[in-house]
Amino acid sequence: MKQVKWLFHPILVFGLSVTALVASLFLYIYWYVGVSSGLRAAMERFNLEQEQMVAADTWVVILVLSILIGTILMGIFIIFVFSQKTTQLYRLQNNFINNFTHELKTPVTSLQLYLQTFSKYELPRADQLKYIQYMLLDVNRLAGTINRILNLAKLESKSYMGEFVVCDLVGVIHRFLEENNHLFKSCRIRVHTPVINTVYQRINRHLFEMLLINIITNAIKYNNAEAPVMDIFVEPGRKKTRIRFVDNGIGFDRKEMKKIFRKFYQIGRSDDMSAKGSGLGLHLVQNIARLHNGSITAESPGRGQGSTFTLMLPTLE
Amino acid sequence: MDKPQKRILIIEDDLHIAEGIQLNLTLQGYEVFLSADGVSGLNQWKAMRPDLIILDIMLPGIDGLSILQSIRLEDERLPVLILSAKGDPDDRIKGLALGVDDYLAKPFNLEELLLRVERLLKRGSWGRDNGTSAVSHFDTYAFGDNRIDFKTHTARCRMGEISLTEQEVKVLKLFITHRGKPLSRDQLLQIGWGYSRKTSTRTVDNFIVRFRKYFEDDPRNPVYFKSLRSIGYLFDHTS
Repeated sequence: MKQVKWLFHPILVFGLSVTALVASLFLYIYWYVGVSSGLRAAMERFNLEQEQMVAADTWVVILVLSILIGTILMGIFIIFVFSQKTTQLYRLQNNFINNFTHELKTPVTSLQLYLQTFSKYELPRADQLKYIQYMLLDVNRLAGTINRILNLAKLESKSYMGEFVVCDLVGVIHRFLEENNHLFKSCRIRVHTPVINTVYQRINRHLFEMLLINIITNAIKYNNAEAPVMDIFVEPGRKKTRIRFVDNGIGFDRKEMKKIFRKFYQIGRSDDMSAKGSGLGLHLVQNIARLHNGSITAESPGRGQGSTFTLMLPTLE
Repeated sequence: MDKPQKRILIIEDDLHIAEGIQLNLTLQGYEVFLSADGVSGLNQWKAMRPDLIILDIMLPGIDGLSILQSIRLEDERLPVLILSAKGDPDDRIKGLALGVDDYLAKPFNLEELLLRVERLLKRGSWGRDNGTSAVSHFDTYAFGDNRIDFKTHTARCRMGEISLTEQEVKVLKLFITHRGKPLSRDQLLQIGWGYSRKTSTRTVDNFIVRFRKYFEDDPRNPVYFKSLRSIGYLFDHTS
């Protein structure tokens, strides 16, 4: 059964059909040239005066054939790309289900468990408060996951009509870190700013904060160091402003540099369940960078050696 | 008469769920231990010898199904209940095939969990009252000219009568239960030794060398313990 499957591998099918097509084009021309030269020889023998026309015909025929084959090739290629896309989407969907089964069911399980416990027993007030706190955290977690999915749908539609205003980036970052202090308690965050200390940039506050929160929580979540550290460098340039986020987290392999921005992509295999989280965070970050006409890249010297995320935004004219 | 308190081990990485179950089981009068990952779960199981284990599948370190197999190599009777977010029939079958006693999908009903736990514990105690030991279903096993006695931890092979260590017995059992199916080094380490993935894999190879010396007529050309390149090892024999 496996061997039959292998025969239908799309890349193989694609390769074979392209080879067949190119070979047929070659043979058409070869035969045509053969036949027409035979014809020409025959005409010469019988002294017919049509040489001019036949010669012109040869090229027209070859041209038409090439165009037709070229069109078919294009068609095959497009179908090939589409089929690849479909398999990719299928894999994405699978990933999505795997990730969200865990992400959605865990807090729901916890909530149901405590609610049923509460209805079953009369717990002392102190215990009650402790478990209510747990439930609130679970609700937050659930709300976070739901928000991420909804935000993604909004951002991906490209018709995002948020308000973009010019403001001081350094100020925004500082204020954001202060306001969300409770989220980054375990992490030491240092902001390195240029001498000027104000960098004006056209941004959407809400989206930019979403980007910050995703990058920073990733640095904390995917971190085996004793104390997570995050350094944020704001470096204004002539054409572009560079913001570098350097962490001491688990890093990633070179080949995963681009992949980590893919929707639902997660480092770690899905079969051993070492992957956790929604796989949406960095995809959101990338979309946000795009909406700001900027870009984001990731670098890491390797597993366990931290990583650097660089956000590039075009400077104001 | 006051019966001795039943001990339950919960291996679950989500603290909220683990504590919630612990709270309920404690209120029911059980003694409950928590483990947040696979490695400590296995250690706790060995140290505490609980009467029941509640096991999550998605765990850091060693996953739940490997833990289950590891336990089953040493104890066929210990009731294990899987509590997992994966509730598809395929996942349930995977768990049941590996010897889990009960399977509950998250989110679950509290009352249902408590009743199932009670039932499993009751059944577990019957087995113990019968006086039969909790050792696995096979006592002796023969392949080729070799004969292994799991009760006395001895083997008769081409080297004569030898005694086997606890670890050797465990790895042998793992191979025998997977007869004809390849086992990767990772699987062997996780199930046989209870190591997480990061450990170096020389240990496994050393054991295989030893097994071949014991049981193969020609250790250089193994018949029973075959290496599969880039996959792992395969144990098989004609019956």
